[in-house]
Amino acid sequence: MDLSANNKLNIILMRLLDFEVKLLDNPIVEAYIGEYASGKSEVAVNRALWLKGQDRKVTLADLDIVEPFYTLRPIKKHLEEKGITVLAWETKKTMGLGEAGNIIKPELRWVLKREGDIILDIGYGVEGAKTLNLVYGADNHQFLKVIAVLNCSRPMTSTLEDIVEFVKELGRVDGLVNNTHLGDDTDLDTIQHGAELVAKASKMLGIPIIATTAMDRFRISLGETDCAGNPVFYIKRYMPHTFW
Amino acid sequence: MAAKPIEGEKKVFVTGNEAVAWAALAAGAEIMYGYPITPQNEIMHYWTRIAPKYGKKFLQTEDEISAGFTCLGGVLAGRKAFTATAGPGNTLMQEPMSMAEMMRIPSVVVICARGGPSTATVIYSQQETTLTCYGGNGEGLRIVYSTANHQELYDYTIKAFNSAWKYRFPTFVLGDGYQSKMRESLVMYDPEARGIEMVESEPYVLKPGVPGSDRKAAHLRNTYNMEDELYEVIMELVKDFEKMAPEVVEYAVHDCEDAEILLLAHGVVSRAALGAVKLLRQEGLKVGLFRPITLRPFPQEELKKYAQKAKHILVVESAHGQLDKLVKENIYGITTPISPYFRPGVGVTVEEVIQEVKKLV
Repeated sequence: MDLSANNKLNIILMRLLDFEVKLLDNPIVEAYIGEYASGKSEVAVNRALWLKGQDRKVTLADLDIVEPFYTLRPIKKHLEEKGITVLAWETKKTMGLGEAGNIIKPELRWVLKREGDIILDIGYGVEGAKTLNLVYGADNHQFLKVIAVLNCSRPMTSTLEDIVEFVKELGRVDGLVNNTHLGDDTDLDTIQHGAELVAKASKMLGIPIIATTAMDRFRISLGETDCAGNPVFYIKRYMPHTFW
Repeated sequence: MAAKPIEGEKKVFVTGNEAVAWAALAAGAEIMYGYPITPQNEIMHYWTRIAPKYGKKFLQTEDEISAGFTCLGGVLAGRKAFTATAGPGNTLMQEPMSMAEMMRIPSVVVICARGGPSTATVIYSQQETTLTCYGGNGEGLRIVYSTANHQELYDYTIKAFNSAWKYRFPTFVLGDGYQSKMRESLVMYDPEARGIEMVESEPYVLKPGVPGSDRKAAHLRNTYNMEDELYEVIMELVKDFEKMAPEVVEYAVHDCEDAEILLLAHGVVSRAALGAVKLLRQEGLKVGLFRPITLRPFPQEELKKYAQKAKHILVVESAHGQLDKLVKENIYGITTPISPYFRPGVGVTVEEVIQEVKKLV
């Protein structure tokens, strides 16, 4: 066999292998972005824990470099005890947080090179979404999906027009999550109203819906799909514990 | 251009800072002046995102002294204007607000109290109570509403514009970093839809007509030459302030009628105190909460009534005795013992309050 034939065979073998990897064990790599206080971190934490529950290797990365409140830092240890690798600053190791901005933890720059599933929590609205640009390889990563989290009870994303306009401002978005709620005052109508709006926005934007989220307590009344036929991803609230 | 920022009513999920920005819009504010500081920033961020849609304006100045003075300029020109700040920014804001007291300029200032002294933390405290009530080189002739939740931030921001323009004293909404950043649901509404009539603004300068013949000349002063002149002006201001006081004073009481232990707390700390009262009452303990909503003017007579009846008073605050000072000044002569639970720069929980009350039983 000559050299070029050998090379060709190698390439074919590699492609086959690559295909098998894709088929059997593609890593799940997702970046959660969206309006300020839309629930990005809550969805990211719940997604990471769900993946861990499937016995997968999971890294959860805190890429909120603006907001000193409601980040993953306060529950870092708790999540690590559940077997997730959490890349986030420890608050006491930061200096002048919220006063002078923050830098990303150096290891976050290379987070996409890690093995296994990677969930990126990217905070602070449209401006925060640009933090993804600081992550090496984010622009051409094979498996990365950028997911916009939408809460239609947030005043700036409460009408169809506003949602469509807002998602366009975010730049690249590969999927939408309807995370419509009113905190403790959430009821079924709140969630379904969000599901309807996000479904319409999805059509206008040509971006698929990944899921509707709902608190565990709606499991019986809401079931497996929302009124628009999208799957419901049931979550627990971890973020109220992360105020500071 | 959209007609009204909020039509009728709308239930939403927001941070406290957003509640303030929307409330200012609903109240008909025309311009915000500001300089960034945590935890206030999102009031500016959301104002600048929403306000242009309704033809409203924003000016970012070079510091808080300028933000305060430009705000007064806006008001003198007849605009409903406001500003918002925190901590060291609140310190700088006192000079313009002193001028507002002297010249009776109805400015509205939202304070998101953070840790002090100096830069300290961006998080939270109740250490701006004294500063907000009595800052500046004057007599503290201002209205200060201390809010406890998002609905109140919304309600009292609207009310602040009306109180300011009705009584012509600078008016503060005193929140804190916790309220700024917390997320809660609230009902936003168009004040008109609830029958709240907004007081019209009017210019202090460039009024129509010829000064001296059609109208009195506008003579706006914050400088006087003689001691006697100043004395007369101050006494007139104080008289007006005291006349206004009974009309604006606000407070909330919970289980105070038969309370043997009376808790005193304001702002977000009153939520922890209220939680404690509810649980302690279930245990059969006679505990009540008195919460001043206006810290300036202070609900003096109302507090005296309950303070006199109680066997013990517990002052709970996230500062080292700033509310305590107000309480003692206002109930002077009443001999009920007062105990402190001071947590400067730190949040207070229901459990802690319960523990402190039990030490007194």
